[in-house]
Amino acid sequence: MISVKEITKHFGKHMVLKNISVEIAPREVVVIIGPSGSGKSTFLRCLNGLETVSSGQITINGVEITHSKTNLSLVRKEVGMVFQRFNLFHHLSVMENITIGPRQVLKMEREEAEKRAYALLDKVGLREKAHAYPDELSGGQQQRVAIARALAMNPIVMLFDEPTSALDPEMVGEVLAVMKELAREGMTMVVVTHEMGFAREVGDRVLFMDEGCILEEGTPDQLFNNPREERTKLFLSKIL
Amino acid sequence: MNFLAIVSAAMPQLLYGARLTIWFSIAAIILATILGLIFALFKLSSIQLLRKIGEVYVHIFRGLPLLVEIFYIYFALPMVLPMHRWFDPYFAPVAGVIALALNEGAYITEIIRAGILSVDRGQTEAALSIGMNGFQTMRFIVLPQAFKRMIPPLVNQFIQTIKDTSLLSAISLSELTRQGQIVISTTFASLQIWTAVAAIYLAVILSLTALSSYMERRLQIDKR
Repeated sequence: MISVKEITKHFGKHMVLKNISVEIAPREVVVIIGPSGSGKSTFLRCLNGLETVSSGQITINGVEITHSKTNLSLVRKEVGMVFQRFNLFHHLSVMENITIGPRQVLKMEREEAEKRAYALLDKVGLREKAHAYPDELSGGQQQRVAIARALAMNPIVMLFDEPTSALDPEMVGEVLAVMKELAREGMTMVVVTHEMGFAREVGDRVLFMDEGCILEEGTPDQLFNNPREERTKLFLSKIL
Repeated sequence: MNFLAIVSAAMPQLLYGARLTIWFSIAAIILATILGLIFALFKLSSIQLLRKIGEVYVHIFRGLPLLVEIFYIYFALPMVLPMHRWFDPYFAPVAGVIALALNEGAYITEIIRAGILSVDRGQTEAALSIGMNGFQTMRFIVLPQAFKRMIPPLVNQFIQTIKDTSLLSAISLSELTRQGQIVISTTFASLQIWTAVAAIYLAVILSLTALSSYMERRLQIDKR
């Protein structure tokens, strides 16, 4: 589904991603962990073209998104993204946040878009907030709306960039619950997170990134219980 | 003659001027806003040539006195470009409005650019991530949020534009200031007429201010 071949990324002289290759299968849930500054978020943002790679290839569902002629908008409507800071559209209601993509990009009729939006709001448990504005919601509620907004485009893969890092602790659970449900339904997911519980419970594979490289990868059990690399052990000892 | 008698005798001429002042203002404000939007988008473009064009525009038209710009377009340009013939017999108002619009447009460019830049980058990224193209992102996500924040400085600039129409008297356009001068040249009632002229300008500008505070309330500008 996603094939990443030897990508590198420079910011000026600084090399943020060094020769990363990874294959992600349909229905797979891949969790990326690692210290801050290790390139996790940059890697994730390369997967929908929010960052351009300096070299290498990324292919999603047969489309090479790193090709200069590829229309990124067409790729992005199939790749949902959830941000650390939610990034809901402040001037639009919850309903409009969810329907604007389907209506403007997929050219869907209003009634159809709203019907689907209500179904998604049911899924994230926020039907009664359809006409609220983002600033009237708690962080956890905003992030659940952001997930619904991404799902409204019917993506084939969902990218999560530290989706719970900006939340108060008591709100982390409600967002993770929605994500776990998605994983159980078979959504292909790439998740950058520090939530080890989530990684253990629904992750098929965990990648440990450090200094722009994938240093180690394996099943959650392997990586958390028997890490090979010293660097991984050190990192895990600090966060577990 | 007492104050009221002088002023009311002059009122038809002054109101004629006021009407032209309002028309020149409306035309210049609309044109300047269009120019401002275009050049703001130029300055924010990823294409270097467009950015340069936007910069040169702002530098020139913000960098010259408005009166010089008016004289340049009305007196100097026709020497090399027969504009006065294209727009005959309306060249004076056309040149005046164009000069005003170009000048105010340079300031509005910077107001709109600042407004767009004030919208969090995350809004753009979120819009792109659901498959919107650059135009849709600007049109549906960035500009509506930027616009609310641009209202107070834009209203400032519109008020400035209304006041600047008085400089059009220098190319003999019969707007309010010019009409005042004409009346005074026959009545010599400086105090009375200039007081009336000032009062009319203030009335026009205060009604614009009232309109804008109404709009701010409607758009709930204090909220995001």
